[in-house]
Amino acid sequence: MLQSFFEWMQGLPFSAWMLEETWASPIIQCAHLVALVGFAGAVLVVDMRLLGRGLIKTPLNQLARELDRWMIWSFVALFVTGAPQVLSTALKQYYSPFFWWKMQIIVIGLLFNFTIRRRVALAEEGTLGHWPKVVGFLSIGIWTSVSVYARLIGLLS
Amino acid sequence: MRSLFEWVDALPSSIALRESLNAYPTMLTIHVVSMCLFAGLIAYWDMRLIGFTLKKVPVSNIPTRLFPWALTGYGINLITGALLLYSQPMRYYGNFYFWAKMALMLVAGINMFWFHYATYKSVQAWDQGREIPLNARLAGVVSLVLWAAVVVTGRMMAYSGLMPGWWNNLNIGA
Repeated sequence: MLQSFFEWMQGLPFSAWMLEETWASPIIQCAHLVALVGFAGAVLVVDMRLLGRGLIKTPLNQLARELDRWMIWSFVALFVTGAPQVLSTALKQYYSPFFWWKMQIIVIGLLFNFTIRRRVALAEEGTLGHWPKVVGFLSIGIWTSVSVYARLIGLLS
Repeated sequence: MRSLFEWVDALPSSIALRESLNAYPTMLTIHVVSMCLFAGLIAYWDMRLIGFTLKKVPVSNIPTRLFPWALTGYGINLITGALLLYSQPMRYYGNFYFWAKMALMLVAGINMFWFHYATYKSVQAWDQGREIPLNARLAGVVSLVLWAAVVVTGRMMAYSGLMPGWWNNLNIGA
């Protein structure tokens, strides 16, 4: 079922165009990397603050509110530039364990961000004990794993 | 220059690194993660200078509170980058994007030093709630564009078949 879906994606005219057009993949990959930098910065500034590092003189909820939209739009850019890469190399992705680990951790990361992390970051400071540090640490761990697995798809698949 | 690259290429430690199965994926992965730490934080510093985001954060807070982390990322990035170069010097010697990346990093460094030793000295006058001077905003734009170009040329190094025609005509890698 899932395999036939990936075979269908691989067989799309758009996938063939991506593979045939010399500059399509490099441009999309470069844009993906630039979006990754934007996403990483927005996540890190808030996560470091959760850990009690970085911009400690600025209220945490203010930082979280301001960088939330940068995080979301960077993620949208990551998705928009990531999807064509998955389409054009669908079968390579399907057979790569790193791709599946990456997808699973992205889902965990999104759920974690929009439930626990956001709630902790927007809460009154000093009311949650050590939880902000735990959340910041987990968030950095989750998104670092995503970039590690993403890199390993290209290198070891 | 070419003989230096060839000399490194023939060193037993360079060959050992090149022939190791795990060294290249490990170094490249750490290179990408450390890039996220460095470039991610610098991007938001630049955008603060331009006035895109973090407007309520005093400008002077960012160098003192975020730069130690950004520089840690940069240090790891430099070490892994140097190891990647050390392991395959002749792969990079003829690569246009490698030299473009080095040149862009140099210009970005000059921009950074110029900003910190000239424009930033007057930071107390425009630290918070005041309009950031044009010089500082311009330095932010230049830095943002240059580091994005560094990221792009770094990724393009993998595409040795997509180098400009004029560069290929120079036969540098031959």
